[in-house]
Amino acid sequence: MLKLLRLEYLFNVRQLLIILAIFSLYFAYAVNRVESPGVFIVTTSLMVGLGIPFAIMGREDKFKTAALLCSLPVRRSTVVLSKFAATWAAILLGLGYNVFLTAVLPFSKIPLGGVLSVKNLLVSLFLMSMLFAVILPFTIRFGFVGIIILLTGCQLLGIVTLLLGQLLGGAGIPLRLFFRAVERGLKFLLHHQATTGFLLVLAAGIIAVNLLAILVSRALYARRDL
Amino acid sequence: MENAIEIRGLRKEYKGFALDDVTFDVPRGYIMGLIGPNGAGKTTVIKLIMNLIRRQAGEVRVFGLDNIRHESEVKAKIGFVYDVPRFPEDLRLGTIASAVSGFYGKWDDRRFRGLMEEFELSPRRVFKKLSHGMKMKFSLALALAHDADLILMDEPTAGLDPAFRFELLTKLRALIQDERKTVLFSSHITSDLERVADFVTFIHKGRIVFSEAKDDILDSWGVVRAAGDSLRPTDVPEARGARRSEHSLEVLTSDLAAARRSAIPNAVFDKASLEDIMFFISKGNAHA
Repeated sequence: MLKLLRLEYLFNVRQLLIILAIFSLYFAYAVNRVESPGVFIVTTSLMVGLGIPFAIMGREDKFKTAALLCSLPVRRSTVVLSKFAATWAAILLGLGYNVFLTAVLPFSKIPLGGVLSVKNLLVSLFLMSMLFAVILPFTIRFGFVGIIILLTGCQLLGIVTLLLGQLLGGAGIPLRLFFRAVERGLKFLLHHQATTGFLLVLAAGIIAVNLLAILVSRALYARRDL
Repeated sequence: MENAIEIRGLRKEYKGFALDDVTFDVPRGYIMGLIGPNGAGKTTVIKLIMNLIRRQAGEVRVFGLDNIRHESEVKAKIGFVYDVPRFPEDLRLGTIASAVSGFYGKWDDRRFRGLMEEFELSPRRVFKKLSHGMKMKFSLALALAHDADLILMDEPTAGLDPAFRFELLTKLRALIQDERKTVLFSSHITSDLERVADFVTFIHKGRIVFSEAKDDILDSWGVVRAAGDSLRPTDVPEARGARRSEHSLEVLTSDLAAARRSAIPNAVFDKASLEDIMFFISKGNAHA
């Protein structure tokens, strides 16, 4: 798998540097504006964590290099594992980069200790795991088009929910309920006390969500014709 | 004879096309050409050998190993050349080679550099700046640098000018003679196969028409020609296809000797070329 990660790095190093350069500007802006370490670390890590893997997968689609990867002496399941590993390497890179910027930028309003708290790190990793568990299997199976399919599907689902709400006399209620549930969930995660039990549940959640996503992705990738 | 590839009952269905019950062997140490018109299923067979697409039935064994159960061992023994090379186009050749080389235990960097020099390719050149022929040469250099026992190529000569094609085919021939490698390559250019192939497998509409030694095919297949209406396809033993022009009928047979013995009046008997066979079966009125 390390060979695959090395290959991804060699194939995409220029894009990696461009993304980090672009996000550096936003991060420099964010550390001066955002005051909550939790919000800062979640949003910025998410941006790098989304930006880097999708730039890599976008190039894979553009040059059709998925066929190259699968013609190399590796199993398809290893290719899937390497994609998850590359994504997590990007996320950890994002986290490290955040911590670095928070520490070195003189106008940062974010206390370094807040960013480095175990709870904020775990909440951030848990939310990213949830997001990637939905997005990565689609991308791995259908390529970059998978993201478009997913986003279009969500849009259509939203439209259908709104129309049904109108027809049944409760316009927007299901969507409002959904967004409120997401909001409450986020608030719960961000404001819950950092008890040992809570941290252990978060850590177990991260592992479980990722394992499930890897299993689904492996099953889907085995069916992909290249 | 030991086989490098054994394919049994292979099946893959797409919308509007099905590869069905494909069975043939590629003997070790020889060149086999996979021939057929466009859309016959050549690329599908090669992709199934490489497990790039999922088979619906059948079995593929490479050097005795199942190509799915022993996927990485099998692929380590194969040098694969795509019809259209699949590398990031904005990278230098040296970077691509560096990324790929790590996967092969038998990668020989000195050999790779030698091949690059032989093909007049610089590792500093960017992939997208290469012509199609140069891209194919680079793919071949990668395929040969890890001492693969089997070279698998999908339409390697398509789109190449005659000089490039001749150079590539000469290289393949030398590879077999010097190193006893096995080569399977698909092509719809029959003259390429007649020049280098030891065995030919002909595929049409997803089915194998024949898989035999090239010399046996060229000896046994023939075309029977007769003017006017004196000849009917049913008169010719082992008739496999027919073509009628304004003044004559031509019938392809897979048993030229039997056709000669059948004493058809006013008929002319000629050996069939691979091009004749492909034409009659794909364009003429094919007879099973």
